[in-house]
This record gives sequence, C-alpha cells and structure tokens, in this order.
Amino acid sequence: MALYHNQPMAHAQEPTAAPIEHRFNPYSDNGGSILAIAGTDFSVIAGDTRQSEGYNIQTRYARKVWQLTDKAVLATNGFAADGNNFVKRVKQRLEWYEHAHHKPMGLKSIARMIQTMLYGKRFFPYYVYNILGGIEEDGSGAVYSFDPVGSYEREACRAAGAAQSLIQPFLDNQIYFKNQQPEPGSQPFIPGNLPLATVLSLVVDSFTSATERHIEVGDGMEIYIVMARDRTTDDLLGEGKLQKGMEIEELGTLGEGQGERTFLVRQALKRD
Amino acid sequence: MNSVLTQLQPSAPHQNRLEEQDELDRTDAASWGSMAGFGNLDRTGGVQGMSIPRVSDPTSFLDMHTDNMSSNPDAKIKIAHGTTTLAFKFQGGVIVAVDSRATAGSYVASGTVKKVIEINKFLLGTMAGGAADCQYWETYLGMQCRLYELRNKERISVAAASKILSNIVYQYKGMGLSMGTMVCGWDKTGPCIFYVDSDGQRLKGDLFSVGSGSTFAYGVLDQGYRWDLTDEEAQELGRRSIIAAGHRDAYSGNTCNLYHVKENGWDFIGNYDVNELWYEYEGKKKAERESQNAAAAAGASPMAVEP
Amino acid sequence: MENNGGSVVAMIGKDCVAIASDLRLGNQAVGIASNFDKVFPVNDKLYYGLPGLATDVYTLKEHLRFRVNMYRMKEEREITPKTFTHLVSSTLYEKRFGPFFIEPVVAGLPTPTELDPHPKPFISTMDTIGCVTTPKDFAVAGTAADKLYGVAEGLWEPDLEPEDLFETVSQTLLNAVDRDALSGWGAVVHIITHDKVITRTLRARMD
Repeated sequence: MALYHNQPMAHAQEPTAAPIEHRFNPYSDNGGSILAIAGTDFSVIAGDTRQSEGYNIQTRYARKVWQLTDKAVLATNGFAADGNNFVKRVKQRLEWYEHAHHKPMGLKSIARMIQTMLYGKRFFPYYVYNILGGIEEDGSGAVYSFDPVGSYEREACRAAGAAQSLIQPFLDNQIYFKNQQPEPGSQPFIPGNLPLATVLSLVVDSFTSATERHIEVGDGMEIYIVMARDRTTDDLLGEGKLQKGMEIEELGTLGEGQGERTFLVRQALKRD
Repeated sequence: MNSVLTQLQPSAPHQNRLEEQDELDRTDAASWGSMAGFGNLDRTGGVQGMSIPRVSDPTSFLDMHTDNMSSNPDAKIKIAHGTTTLAFKFQGGVIVAVDSRATAGSYVASGTVKKVIEINKFLLGTMAGGAADCQYWETYLGMQCRLYELRNKERISVAAASKILSNIVYQYKGMGLSMGTMVCGWDKTGPCIFYVDSDGQRLKGDLFSVGSGSTFAYGVLDQGYRWDLTDEEAQELGRRSIIAAGHRDAYSGNTCNLYHVKENGWDFIGNYDVNELWYEYEGKKKAERESQNAAAAAGASPMAVEP
Repeated sequence: MENNGGSVVAMIGKDCVAIASDLRLGNQAVGIASNFDKVFPVNDKLYYGLPGLATDVYTLKEHLRFRVNMYRMKEEREITPKTFTHLVSSTLYEKRFGPFFIEPVVAGLPTPTELDPHPKPFISTMDTIGCVTTPKDFAVAGTAADKLYGVAEGLWEPDLEPEDLFETVSQTLLNAVDRDALSGWGAVVHIITHDKVITRTLRARMD
C-alpha cells in the first residue's frame, strides 16, 4: 500500500530504451460558430451545422445546440468530441438531479453546475466554449457564457467560435447600440428588450455574414427559441412572420412542463 | 519508518487517487444527490477528483494546449487574461477598484467581467490572471468561510481567509494555476488587505495593484495616496487610477467597478464607463489649462507656462 | 502588425468612396500616441491607408511620395487609383524577401476621361508583398481586420450616398476597433466625392 502511494505515477516514468518523441495531442478544432441573445421573455440560441477539420468539411450537418430542459438550451463550440461528451455528461447530471429532487434544475443552477464540471477538468480541459440560454426562474430571458475552464458570466448576448470576432462587434452595435446615439428628441435606446422578430433577423444576418467571410461557417443553421410561460407566440408562428426558407418545429416538453415552449427554426446557409 | 511517514503525509492533489479520477467513477451521493453543485468536492467538502491527463508531465501538457501565463499565445484554448485591479487601505476602510475587460490575444472577449468577487458580506476578492481560477477558488473560499463561521460562531479574519486561499493554490503550485488576487475585508483588527497569488505568495499591505495595467494605476495611486483621505477622495483616487490604466493599457478598460469596505461590510459604489470618465477628466484638464492661460495673459501668474 | 496596432477600412458608395483609420500608435500593450494618422492623400481624389509597423508607415509613405512626384513630372498628369495601386504593389514586391510590415488600402475616385466618361469608384488592398485585390464593396486591413469584415458585411449596402456612407464606415470602424485591444484611441474618416473631400475625426473610445 505504501509502495503504491509512493509512486502512483510509476507507469508514466518508466525508462524507455530510446526517447520516443510522441506528443499527446488529444485536441482538434472543428470550427463553426454559436450565438445566443436574450430578450425580456425569450431567449434565442443558434449555431451553424458545419463541422470541419482544417480545410476539410467532415459533415454539413452536425449539431452544436442542444435542448437540456424545458427552459434551458446549451450551445457548444470548439472540439466536437469534447462538446458531444460534455453535453452527454451534463444531461446525465440533470437526470440525476431530477431523480433526487423531483424537479428539473433551474437555469442558474445549470450554469453553476457547468462551471464546476468544466473546472473539474482544469488540468485537462474540455476544449469547448459553452453558451447556455433559456428562461430564468423569474421568467426573464437569460444567456450565460463560459470559457473552456469554467469562468462564466450572465450577459444579454454572446457569440463564440470561429467567427466570434466577426459577429460580436456587429452584435455590440445592433443589440447594445454601441457607438449609436438616438436622434435628438427621440426615445433613448434600451438594450436587451428587442422584439423577437428583430432578434431573429439579426441572428440570420450574423450567420450569413460569417458564412460569407469565414470558411469554417456555413451549410445550415439551427435556431432554438425558448419562450417564457404565457408568452404570446404570434410574433413567431403568425402568418408571414418567418423569413423565406425557414422551417419551424415545436419541441415537446421534456418533463411535466411548466408552460415554457421551445421552438426550433432551421435555415439553410451557403455551402461553398 | 519512511513508508509510515509518506503514508501520514497528505499526497499532492494531482497524485491523489489516480485510478479513481474518472468522473464516471464518482457515483457517490456527493456527485449527483443533494450535494450536486460543486461536482468535484467529496463528502467532507474537500477537493478531489480533479482530472489530470495521464502523461508524464501534466504541466507541460497544459502549457502546450493553453495560453496560460501567455507562454503559448498560439494555443487553441484561450484563457481570458489582462487586467487592472487595485485595493488600498485608508482611514475610512478599504477601497477596491477594478476594470472589466477580458482579452484573448488582441480580441476583447468581454467588456463586462465582474472582477470583484463577493466572497461574503465582509470579504471581497479581486480577479487577475485566469478568470476561472479566481472565480472558482474564491467561490470555494466563500464556502469555507461560511463553514468556519458555523464551526466557530464568529466571522473569519481576513488573514485566515486569505491563508485558506493561499494554502489551496500552494497545493497546486507549478501546475499552471494563474491568479493574482487581493483578499480585502474588515475584521476584529480593522480594515485589511492580503495579496495572494498562484505562486503561493501571501502579503499583508496597505496598497496593492495587480495586472497588466498595474504600473499605470500605481502611478496615479502613489501620487494621490494619503492615510487621511476622506471617503469621497479615496473613492475618486481608486476610480481615477483605473481610468488612467484603462486608457494606457490595451488589455484593460471598458468599465470600472468600485467597492468600499467599511466596518459593517462592503458597499458597491458604482459601475463607471472608462471612456466617458476619461473624456470628463480631459475636459476638466482643458478647462483648467484655459483658465490658467487666461490668468497668465492678465499677468496674474508669473509662473504660468505656455501650453 | 501586432507591434504598433492599427486598422484601416475603405468602402465604395454611389459616386463616392470612404477610407477611415484609427489613430492609435502603441508599443505592444502600451498606448503611445493618439494622433497617429495612417491615411494619407495622394491628391484630392485619391487616398491610401498604411496599417502595420509604424516605422514602415513613414518609410513607405515617403517612398511613395517620391515615386508619385516622379510620375507627375514625367507624365504631367495625376496618377489614377488603379495605377497607384500597381505602384504600391511593385514597391512592396521589391522587398519580397524582407518585406514592409504593412497591408495598404487604396481608395479613390478616378477622373472621367474620353475613353471612360463614367468611371466607377475604386478601392483596393494588398498583402505585405503586394498581391492586389480590388473588391466591389469594402476593403479592410490591420489588427482589427476580422472584426471589420464582420461588421462591414452586416452594415454595408450598395450605392450609399456620401452621408450614409460616412455613417456606415464610421459605425463599422468604431465597433470593430472597440473589440480590438490594439486599435482605437481615436478615429478619422475621409469621404471622397467628385467635388470635395469630407474629413471628420470621430469621438472614439479611449481605452
């Protein structure tokens, strides 16, 4: 027993005949971009569906955005294998929580749990940038963004991934009205409560722009929209509300449901 | 004898239970039941199960893949960096002021980072270096401070709290943690600041500034600092120092968060836009210059110099 | 490029072009000057921007001034934007194996001639060794290039009138450099039209 404790890493330090120059490289970058914007009573979480490695496209349809609960959606970006596995583990923890507490985990608790799960691998990080969107306990739309080792912050909007530097300054301008002043005598801008239609068209514009200028972004996009309970859906489902080429589907409740509704909108992007 | 000794010694955390490190193996109540939350805490509240890559040198592995300590700027995994933080003690308590910018390379990843971590009603921690390291361990420090209160029926001293933190990070020394933090508060001994960093350094002092913009902040801070500053003067000095650093340092800026620690705990004074305040200060300087010039032209001041 | 920082953007409008730059000169993280103009006139219809290493900005600027003056004296006419682009390009390629660390952007309005009575507004950009591209919409360069691409792609539209082009190029530049640690510290915009050049300095973020 003492011997074991003395040299727990013995297997790693065994002398070899000649030095073997193998670097352990468990990471890859699969490109793509994700984006989330919070409204007063809704949250929009989007991602493109291209998965690439270097100059090669591995698939034109790979998911990056995942429904976790009736009021939480998680977007992952970076190394796809880490991302998929991370989502799997988050879902497992959420299921355990529901068994233990007989209720789904709240959004801010999911955010804190994601921090601890990411930080648990501080010395062997998940190469994943996460954005969590959904509806808070008080019914407000929320977005939480994370770095790969778990530092997080609640924000009104956030872009991450290959095209984050293209999309984020555009969002600063259009969502936060940065560097803009209202005309004299007109209403002041109030960031963070744009109508859903405006938010949706900004999301589409962001991704078409990124597709145009970034080789790792394109093929298609998936936009998840989480709506607070008792919120009208007319501005989404109403006649002629969706842009051309959009397909919409409502995702059923995962549990007993408390009135929140999640919709999935798909839109094609350029494939070149 | 030797083996008994090694058995008694606590083993370094990264060598602890290597075979059990797999996250999936941790199926006890702590990981999924009512303690779910801090996933890598064991039943006693200690830290366990930090997963370590199975390579001969985990530190160089981390160095290779992250841009920690800016030693490897091309690495894929970018950890947010760049900061100006300051804290100083004076007659009226402690002033804590920080900026809010996080950068990944030259990209401004965020302009709204909360770099003051509210450990509890009486303790503040500042954030410089790895954002996650500071956020995580200072939150954890908050838990330990609460447990101390429950066990000892009195509030923890700033000295003790900062030592808990420095002991934690010292356990991980050399493994790539990156934090430079000031633990600020008010205890039985009065206002108190401890500087704690990931090298294991822990210093008590009256005035500190940490981060890439600290040199600029010190410049303003040192020339305006006195023990008998009024509350308003002290708050203004903290704010002015952050604005100066935010202006000069590319990796600092956006907004300034200002806190004042007093006998009954800390107060959040406000969030200020660095840019707006900078223009305000420039406007004041310009007005002052003009009035001096006008006075010089009228022959009032023989000391006036051409602008 | 990352030594001194700085960015330039140019855009095409309806019978006008815009070129804008930030005003920062830094020594890596430290801001040194907030009046470092990177955009220079060749004549009142042609401007160019030189983002990159500051020492090369001055060298190349003087070098080009010499060559444009020689061109003027030999040809007894003003240089066209297209010819100037090729002049810059070949000047850069002369230093193929020890390049200027600069990515120039050229913006100009060609004067109508008998052969081409209605010339189109012209912009172009190059890499450090002079490989030319002549976009129909906008050109960006410098440390905030990727950010400029994103915002410009979202804001730009064809046939903008001078005042609208000014707003578009200003918003593009300001929002892009605010996400770049090494650009900013003031901004200047030039709108070139057939009868005048409008130059405005913007109240930019100073952090």
